[in-house]
Amino acid sequence: MRLLVVEDDKDLARQLRGALGDAGYAVDLAHDGEEGHFLGDTEPYDAVILDLGLPELDGITVLQRWREAGRVMPVLILTARDRWSDKVSGIDAGADDYLAKPFHMEEMLARIRALLRRAAGHASNEIQCGPLRLDIAAAKVSLDGQAVSLTALEFRLLSYLMHHQGKVISRTELVEHLYEQDFDKDSNTIEVFVGRLRRKTRAELIETVRGLGYRLAVPDAG
Amino acid sequence: MPAKGGSLRLRLIAMAALWCAVALIAAWAVLSALFADQVRRGFDGNLAAQLEGVIAASEWRDEGGPSLRRPLPDPRFQQPLSGWYWQISGPDGPVLRSRSLWDGTLPATESSPAGGGISYDDVAGPNGAGLRLAARSLTLTGVEGAFLFQLAGDSAAVAADIARFDRLLAVALAILGLGLIAAMVLQVQIGLRPLARIGRALGDIRAGRADRLQGAFPSEIQPLADEIDTLLGHQAAVISRARAHAGDLAHALKTPLAVLTNEADQNKGALARHVRHQVVEMRRQVDRHLSRARTAAAAGVLGARCDITPVLEGLVRVLNRLHQERGVTINLDVADHLAFAGEEEDLQEMLGNLLENACQWAKSSIMVTATAQENGVLFAIDDDGPGLPPAQREEVLNRGARLDESKPGSGLGLAIVADMAALYQGELSLRDAAMGGLSARLTLPLAP
Repeated sequence: MRLLVVEDDKDLARQLRGALGDAGYAVDLAHDGEEGHFLGDTEPYDAVILDLGLPELDGITVLQRWREAGRVMPVLILTARDRWSDKVSGIDAGADDYLAKPFHMEEMLARIRALLRRAAGHASNEIQCGPLRLDIAAAKVSLDGQAVSLTALEFRLLSYLMHHQGKVISRTELVEHLYEQDFDKDSNTIEVFVGRLRRKTRAELIETVRGLGYRLAVPDAG
Repeated sequence: MPAKGGSLRLRLIAMAALWCAVALIAAWAVLSALFADQVRRGFDGNLAAQLEGVIAASEWRDEGGPSLRRPLPDPRFQQPLSGWYWQISGPDGPVLRSRSLWDGTLPATESSPAGGGISYDDVAGPNGAGLRLAARSLTLTGVEGAFLFQLAGDSAAVAADIARFDRLLAVALAILGLGLIAAMVLQVQIGLRPLARIGRALGDIRAGRADRLQGAFPSEIQPLADEIDTLLGHQAAVISRARAHAGDLAHALKTPLAVLTNEADQNKGALARHVRHQVVEMRRQVDRHLSRARTAAAAGVLGARCDITPVLEGLVRVLNRLHQERGVTINLDVADHLAFAGEEEDLQEMLGNLLENACQWAKSSIMVTATAQENGVLFAIDDDGPGLPPAQREEVLNRGARLDESKPGSGLGLAIVADMAALYQGELSLRDAAMGGLSARLTLPLAP
């Protein structure tokens, strides 16, 4: 899962990146509206955390431009402007959630989890796929009730596949959603991680669809 | 509309009426005097002509004294006491008289010396009627002494003519005067109409139907209208600046507070705990005072007005989005065309806080009603949650006690609403809702 944080306060941006990274997300930072808009417009993020009072381009305008351009990723507005008039204009501009500063990280993480979960069409904080169970809140994966120990990138990969289980996900898409912007993207590493995940869980859970990508599914489900 | 300063219209009309009356009375006096003079001159001329006729017709016979060669053509001199008389007097008294004098005489009058012109006099006639008398003194050839020729006519007719003319003139001038005053009233009415228009325009501004006077006014009051518009613009600018400053302050304070909160959250020590508590307190203070400052800048502003339905609909959109997982239904029942006499932002703030509170506590549904009451618009926000014991209600409204630390927010929501409502001369009260939970009743001024 890859997130974009648009926040002009460097300290707060650093804290957000730390907390989100610890929770297993790939995080890109933008410090002004122009940069934020460009990244959100060109990179496939799973969710965006957007400040409203931004230099260069106001957050509401950034959001409106994304929505006009058909970008539908969930957006959490994180702002010091907590008047209801701001909330109304934020939601009407296309935001999915609104969190006022100051805030607690847990609250923000819970909101992001809920946004990602809803965007993938899941109703609860636990996603199940056969013997695999993903606890979104705790960022833990278990197999037949036994906790599975995963590295950050392995968790991201498995979490993304579980959020989109049953669908074929291309390597490019995986790369785009797992790595941060300035990471040296090499789709070959995906194969390595998929191999490790197959070893740590069960090989038959992650199916290779030749020429297209990977699919996480319970074998013989249908 | 009686005003202490009196009515401009009344003042103008009274002045005009007074001036009209003085002018017309003077005109009446002058015209009446001219006419009376004219009539008297005409009458005197007539008398003089008749007198000349008497003089021309008279002859002197040695044995019988004066006599008329021929009778005068006017029959009134033959009718007894007709009011028209003549008389010729010698040095020893009247010698010849008109028949109309019967056995009376015309009084002897002072006359100019013999050979002089005609003199006139007002005298009493034989039957007491007022007479106008013309007299001329002549010496006749071959006769000793001067003879006084007198001719008198009834002056009552003259007086009657003058009186009749005076009456007619008075009536005509009175009608003219009334016409003038009517024209003046009309003129004042039309002349002052722009003032009434400016009054209505100001009323519209006060009621929030317009934000500027606009329109063209006559050059005399256009500067006034321009000044008022400038003042309104200035006022609006001051308010929006105050709001912007308050917003900037909020933004400037809250991001550092967020950083502090997060740093403190990551540490376990006593200092971190202390910082956490202080940050919460700072946020509460910032929220409360900012909302007060922003509302104080706007409350009572001339002509603020906003429609209630769109505000509630916007808030419901937000709350449905933010609380979509709680599955709370918000039902709106707002009377048509209700408008709040205040700033939209403030209404959003008050209703937003009340709705947010209701959303946090409701089990499944919230009912919002807005109705026009005698003392303003009444909002009732009812939920089906656990409600609030009466003992705690006062505390929540006054100090913003945070009753449940597990719920997000500063816990000041209801206290802020109560503060803001008070600034608008409104009121927030809490009671039991019919549907089981808490009912928040907010009364606010209604825009006309």
